[in-house]
Amino acid sequence: MDEILGSNEIIGPNEMIVHLGPQHPMQPGPFRLNLRLKGETVMDAEVELGYIHKGIEKILENKTYLQGITIVDRICYLVALTNEECFVGCAEKLLDIEPPERAQYIRVILEELSRLQSHLLGMGEFGEFIGFVSMFMYTIKEREDILTLIDMVTGARVTHSYLRFGGVRDDLPAGFKEKAIPVLNNLKKVISDYEEMFNSDRIYRERTAGVGVLTADVAKSLGVSGPALRATGVPFDIRKNEPYLVYKDLDFKVCTETAGDCAARVQVRLNEMRESIYILEQCLDRIPSGPIFPEGTPYSKRTPVMRVPAGEVFHRVEDPRGEMGMYMISDGTDKPYRVKVRGPYFPTLQALPPLIKGTTVADVAAISGSMDGCTSEADR
Amino acid sequence: MDARTIIESLTGEFPEAISEAGIESPIRIRAYVDKEKVKEVCQYLKDSLQFDHLCSVCGVDYPKRNELEAVYHIASYDHPVVLMLKARLPRDSPEVESVIPVYWNANWYERETYELYGIVFKNHPNLKPLVLPEEMLGEWPLRKDYEGFPNKTARNLV
Repeated sequence: MDEILGSNEIIGPNEMIVHLGPQHPMQPGPFRLNLRLKGETVMDAEVELGYIHKGIEKILENKTYLQGITIVDRICYLVALTNEECFVGCAEKLLDIEPPERAQYIRVILEELSRLQSHLLGMGEFGEFIGFVSMFMYTIKEREDILTLIDMVTGARVTHSYLRFGGVRDDLPAGFKEKAIPVLNNLKKVISDYEEMFNSDRIYRERTAGVGVLTADVAKSLGVSGPALRATGVPFDIRKNEPYLVYKDLDFKVCTETAGDCAARVQVRLNEMRESIYILEQCLDRIPSGPIFPEGTPYSKRTPVMRVPAGEVFHRVEDPRGEMGMYMISDGTDKPYRVKVRGPYFPTLQALPPLIKGTTVADVAAISGSMDGCTSEADR
Repeated sequence: MDARTIIESLTGEFPEAISEAGIESPIRIRAYVDKEKVKEVCQYLKDSLQFDHLCSVCGVDYPKRNELEAVYHIASYDHPVVLMLKARLPRDSPEVESVIPVYWNANWYERETYELYGIVFKNHPNLKPLVLPEEMLGEWPLRKDYEGFPNKTARNLV
């Protein structure tokens, strides 16, 4: 028995082992959570991964750079655009090219839309985990509007293959701004509604406030990033700390809360969605006209055989879940020598067992859900 | 805290263990570290240079040089500099000290690097496969001379 949990403690009287998963409604994807329970209290916990391991790092070594874009989409389908941004950004740094300003704005627009839809789904799922099932119905409806906008530009709802080295595949379609503005205005309204709903619901407050509290020091030592870290009051956001694309010209603030509990993590997401809408409005106003690929270079929509100069680079972007990084080594051929994907949910999932130790079984779903996970990305 | 100060402080503290230190850009620095000294260097980085955030640990295989490299990306929550620390390991017996006492979240990264590359992290509390099935231990699928891709990697599914 102790092997199952990796613990040397003998199972005492009134203790039992419960396996949550690999398939369980509270999980963002298949992983197994082994819990040692004493009554309702979690004494010990362990996560087992590997149910959705796809070997993406090995596959990337065997595909050309252009083919690689379609593979990194599949790391996590919810944030396909930020994954692409990270992969493409690595190659661009090695190639020493910079996308023209219009392409950078288009990328920011799409990545912020992608952040909105990811947060919406995350919040809906979280509501569902704590027994607030109608929340999922509300957010999925708004998410659909955003996916329609993304679909309009990229031609796909979840796996887009839209970014290219030095630019983007297609320009924004005519009338995009006119279609986007009403969606964003509606979203502003519903975010306030969600906030009011969360704040006025007594059961919701009791299930989230003071549950799963992370302090700033603990969160840092566990290696957590993203909303879970910002909910503890640490203003760590790659868009500010290490600006990429045109984020340094845009006005936005890093949303933080101080409580560090489940409610604070949801509040950070709500505020971040407001900031994303603000960023989108700025981008739609300011986007310059011009080419979407650097002029005078061979890079375009179709660059089937592309040799990247030898070198290595580590590039980070801000994913909806935290810090997404890729480490790319090129040996001068048309395929990367090595790509290491450092996903944000991997360390967050690792921090789950110490966080749920000592809580009750009912809180496990709340804490796990408030992290807004994606097992697909942790496993890769 | 800028890149030059960090490099000078690091090479000043460990003149023997740190080699080929260089600045790639104002926010990216790199250095090779003696494999016996990885833990000491990490401890110093965390205590004195604000490098309190381990981004990742990964392996890279260089069969031509008959070497494996363990690569540590270490960043900070306070400044944007990322340090790439590499340790060269012999390919037939790659062993390096675990950095879990310094960075708690190294645990899973080291397990993953172990199962994919066969790099043994000494004094790791729970060095067992993370994402691969137990039967694949010893095949080291991310090494360059691994021949089972893609046919053998899917054998557990059929």
